[in-house]
Amino acid sequence: MKTLWGFIRKEFRQTLRDPRMRILLFLAPCVQLTIFGVALSTEAKNIRLSVVGGLSDTTLQEIHRKALASGWFIPARTSSQDPFMQIQNDEADAVMVTPVGGLDRSLGRGTGELQLLINATNVTRAQGIERYFSSIVRSLYEFKPPLSFDVRVLYNPAMRTALFLVPGVMSMLVCLITILLTSMSITREKELGTFETLIAAPVRPEEVILGKTVPFVLLGMSNIPLIVGVAMALFGMPLRGSLWLLLLSAFVFVCCTVGIGLFISTIARTQQQSMMGGFLYLFPSVLLSGMVFPVENMPWVLRVFSYINPLTYFIELLRNIMLKGGDARLIVFNILILSAMALLAITVSWRRFKTTLS
Amino acid sequence: MNTSGVSLKVTGLFKKLRQTQALQGLDMTFESGLIHGIIGPEGAGKTTLLRHLMGLLHADRGEIQYRRQDGDISFSELRQNIAYMPQTQSLYPELSIHEHLEFFRTLYQLSDQDYAERRRALLQMSRLEEFTERLASELSGGMYKKLGLICSLLASPLVLLLDEPTNGVDPLSRRDFWQLLYDLQKSEDILILVTTSYMDEALKCQKVHLLFDGKTLLEGQPDAILQQKKCKSFDEVFLQYDALEESP
Repeated sequence: MKTLWGFIRKEFRQTLRDPRMRILLFLAPCVQLTIFGVALSTEAKNIRLSVVGGLSDTTLQEIHRKALASGWFIPARTSSQDPFMQIQNDEADAVMVTPVGGLDRSLGRGTGELQLLINATNVTRAQGIERYFSSIVRSLYEFKPPLSFDVRVLYNPAMRTALFLVPGVMSMLVCLITILLTSMSITREKELGTFETLIAAPVRPEEVILGKTVPFVLLGMSNIPLIVGVAMALFGMPLRGSLWLLLLSAFVFVCCTVGIGLFISTIARTQQQSMMGGFLYLFPSVLLSGMVFPVENMPWVLRVFSYINPLTYFIELLRNIMLKGGDARLIVFNILILSAMALLAITVSWRRFKTTLS
Repeated sequence: MNTSGVSLKVTGLFKKLRQTQALQGLDMTFESGLIHGIIGPEGAGKTTLLRHLMGLLHADRGEIQYRRQDGDISFSELRQNIAYMPQTQSLYPELSIHEHLEFFRTLYQLSDQDYAERRRALLQMSRLEEFTERLASELSGGMYKKLGLICSLLASPLVLLLDEPTNGVDPLSRRDFWQLLYDLQKSEDILILVTTSYMDEALKCQKVHLLFDGKTLLEGQPDAILQQKKCKSFDEVFLQYDALEESP
């Protein structure tokens, strides 16, 4: 126990005195959360809208006015009268083309059709544009269908993408920080040569392994309040569930990622290699975690990887606890799975690490 | 000479490391209470030998016996009492002298009282008392080596293995370091093994072992060897062997 305490003090001092590690621990989470939360939005804004065929129609004028008033659109500045060329030359993102004879007349005939050209090089943006137009048209004609939905959007009523993405980014950061801290600290000892001293010292291999993992579980956990705090302060992320449940989930997840970091350090010889190993692990695990792309939409081959990815369960936990307040069943299930994964990661790397030690 | 100390006997040690035969039937004896120098050029097998003595490598053939006055003991019994200072000096740049001693104290599981006494004695001996708050990254080469040494001495070992401790250190600090070893030898019951590729350091040891290509060339007191070989320095002794190897 005393040895472990010695290790904890040493690792805390070393980590907190190393400027690179300080940046990784404290600055990187703030910067990355801000960047991801602000920039990563699937809402399309500043859509350049142009009209070909003139605004003489009252209906067309109305649509155009409503579009601009919605705040999503801005008028496009165009040099050509050819609707296709306007998009080709990147002067407009969406072009309304008036039918021959004007929109009002075709509406009068009962066949109102307005052509809309949308630049779909960015699919999410194009889908957004289409949705906005449909809603504008719906608002123009207040006809009442016999059935309508009384929609209540729960847990994220404004449907803000940030609320959906921020828990994902938070999990990603915890994952990245703990994996890098652990694996780099061990490979650093290898590079310095201090590893030989640790092996030669009269301590049991178990004590060395605990000494090189427990401090990073603690450092990782100390990072959680910072990340949660930034998310709440900057993005108005709610915390509707229990803070203790969130910390418990974070703890099993951090144990898991520290185990993975330990595993990487048994393969990597230098800090650079362990950094590369960390990122090699992180990229697919982020893509397959449901952070941005829903797991349910993936082909089954990839879905298998999502289901063995700890990040998937932690993101689900964070979203559930923070936005919804926590479902007992989901929380118990995910925490159990994460614990099993943590146990597996630690056992496997423990074995590998022990062979490196002897 | 103190009698409660440990002596070592190495017989017919063979070790192949990847493609090279690092040790080729090495025989050596190390007596308690003396400073032994293992002298040899780069690649002679000095580090490999120390790593065997430290239990970090296992020999392909041959035997290492650890002896106390009352008979042979196993390595695991001795382990607590062997200290090893590797060639690539291993300290943490962000930690101060004081913090190093604290960390090594937990590695060696010393009691508060033992630690306090030991710490005071070692800092005094190494003349590092005034610099305890200085970070390792801010120490001079000589001080850095001394810190490494006192860290390994914290557990009051009976055997001290030093792998090229003065490598890359200026002559004055080297002299200082040797003085520290003599002081240590005077005050404690300890067997010190020093490897070096500085031939002049051979004369500073009480017994030297000349190592070449994984074999023992000569063993004995430095003066006696020089007399026997009619050489002025150990450089000459090695040159003689080199010449013998080259001539058919």
